[in-house]
Amino acid sequence: MSRLQARELTLAYEDRTVVEELDLAIPDGRVTVIVGPNACGKSTTLRALGRLLRPAGGAVLLDGEELAKLPTKRIARSIGLLPQTPVAPEAITVADLVSRGRQPHQAWWKQWSEEDERAVTDAMERTDVAALADRSVDALSGGQRQRVWIAMALAQETDLLLLDEPTTYLDISHQVEVLDLVRRLNRLRGRTVVLVLHDLNQAARYADHLVAMKAGRVVAEGPPEEIVTAELVRDVFGLSSVVVPDPVTGSPLVVPGAPWGAEEPVRS
Amino acid sequence: MTTVNVRPAGHGLVRAGRGSFLVHRRSALVAGGLLLLLAAACVAYLCVGEKSVAPGEVLRILLGEPSPSAFVVEELREPRLVVALAVGAAFGIAGGLIQTVARNPLASPDIIGISQGAGAVTVAAMTFGLTSYTVLPYVSIAGGILAAALVYAFAWRGGLHATRFVLIGIGIAIALRSLITLFMTKGDYLVAQQAQIWMTGSLNGRGWDESAPIRWTLLLLLPAVLWAARAQRTVSLDDDTATALGVRLGAVRLGLVAVGVVLASVATGVAGPVDFVALLAPQIARRMTRTAQIPLLCSALTGAVIVVVADLLGRRLFSPVELPVGVLTAAVGAPYLIWLIVRSRAVGGKT
Ligand SMILES: Nc1ncnc2c1ncn2[C@@H]1O[C@H](COP(=O)(O)OP(=O)(O)OP(=O)(O)O)[C@@H](O)[C@H]1O
Ligand SMILES: [Mg+2]
Repeated sequence: MSRLQARELTLAYEDRTVVEELDLAIPDGRVTVIVGPNACGKSTTLRALGRLLRPAGGAVLLDGEELAKLPTKRIARSIGLLPQTPVAPEAITVADLVSRGRQPHQAWWKQWSEEDERAVTDAMERTDVAALADRSVDALSGGQRQRVWIAMALAQETDLLLLDEPTTYLDISHQVEVLDLVRRLNRLRGRTVVLVLHDLNQAARYADHLVAMKAGRVVAEGPPEEIVTAELVRDVFGLSSVVVPDPVTGSPLVVPGAPWGAEEPVRS
Repeated sequence: MTTVNVRPAGHGLVRAGRGSFLVHRRSALVAGGLLLLLAAACVAYLCVGEKSVAPGEVLRILLGEPSPSAFVVEELREPRLVVALAVGAAFGIAGGLIQTVARNPLASPDIIGISQGAGAVTVAAMTFGLTSYTVLPYVSIAGGILAAALVYAFAWRGGLHATRFVLIGIGIAIALRSLITLFMTKGDYLVAQQAQIWMTGSLNGRGWDESAPIRWTLLLLLPAVLWAARAQRTVSLDDDTATALGVRLGAVRLGLVAVGVVLASVATGVAGPVDFVALLAPQIARRMTRTAQIPLLCSALTGAVIVVVADLLGRRLFSPVELPVGVLTAAVGAPYLIWLIVRSRAVGGKT
């Protein structure tokens, strides 16, 4: 079952078409990871799934209804989205920014509730930013800032969560922490998650459903162990590699083949 | 009504019936301080003049006791004080809203063409013989709104891009300014002089009748301003994030700009474009409250303090010659504007 679907989705900026006739069904209660080379249209697709970009053709459906026809606030109670490069207002504090994730659940006369309090506290603790609550977002490191944004998206408490490269800027332990967090949200709370990731091995490890894109098209999709092969990596990224089972999880592990300079003898 | 401590640091929660409202504590304190300052400035405004009246006497007159100075205080100074208050508050709010939407501390009604629009139409009307201060406000309101609509239409391309909005505003402001110059040189000498004084921003000769449009506008727009104070929060995030949080950006921005433009146009209509108040007040207020968005109430109070104090100084500094209030605000505002630009260069022009 898929609450969120793209049907013959065509996406364009001005008159430059980036994604053409894309069909995609996001499986409910699963972690879907989108991979692909730079500029292949991953962010563009994610933005369209989260109604940030109006389709030039086709439609995105949420529970069978066209996204473009739903009130944006209602969508915001179902779909949370973290853009690739969000910008915080100058001088905003961490707690203030995270609590803005509650926006879709609030009204002019209901600016704060116990529910808001709980969701914000919870989101900040899960992302390990509670200790930064009073700090200004401007004055954080890239990784801390990234976790604050993730906290904001979590505070929104939506069934569907779309995250665009949530692990950039993070050190390896925080990368794993964020991905584990995403997986826990998915396993324990049944959240549907869509991630854009660049690290193929992380993608293969955390995805239930992997979508490989190239030049605005889906090249392959399915469980990582079925689709991640040396051919796919060559086809999508133009990289020769060896795919072996991950020693820890058994998921496919992509090891780039032919190290630098190995294919041709050193000229003297 | 109870208050509880909650998460967003520095905020208090006020519950009233089923509603719950977040109050930024520091902003509340700053607003209190500004109110006291404003009250003091108002008393001083009523005391000082050609004929000095003691503060105690002023307070007694305000409470309705008869006094020989009652005429000077109530008939001469009070109406003009009310104009100063209303115009300052209106510019403070308008500047805050326009800066929020433009995401730029340099944007304000007198920079993006609203004041010039009001000015061009007003000066044109003056050259055609319309000189009544009770009619002119309506003419200039129309001009301001027209100019803003023009800026909005040109800046709109499937969405409102903040930088384009400011740049087009500046362009239109320049075009309109040359139109003003044209009308002034075409008109006869007396008209040009009156227009010149109006263009600097002056409260001279403004009484109850002249201030009626601005008083009514402030009153009628109060609900909209209350809405705006909250809506501002959401548009201060970037477009994608705000939309993802369920904000109807296009509509909210249009609403905020509309409120700002109406307030700025009406204030300009009443007092002329009192330069820099709309630019200064929101930034000063925000530096005091240290909030992530411009605090509208504090911005309104700051604007009122600036105009009241500037007009007080303008009346007395070189008496018996009176300086238009706009001259004083410009004298303070211009250096501040330069400082803002220099400073924003230093941090990499972040907007
Ligand atoms: N706002 C925009 N206006 C115009 N073109 C855009 C815009 N955003 C992206 N593009 C173009 O659309 C194409 C796809 O961009 P997109 O951001 O979806 O790539 P991506 O797969 O997310 O890449 P990356 O891995 O670098 O994030 C690129 O060619 C890009 O230049
Ligand atoms: Mg991207």
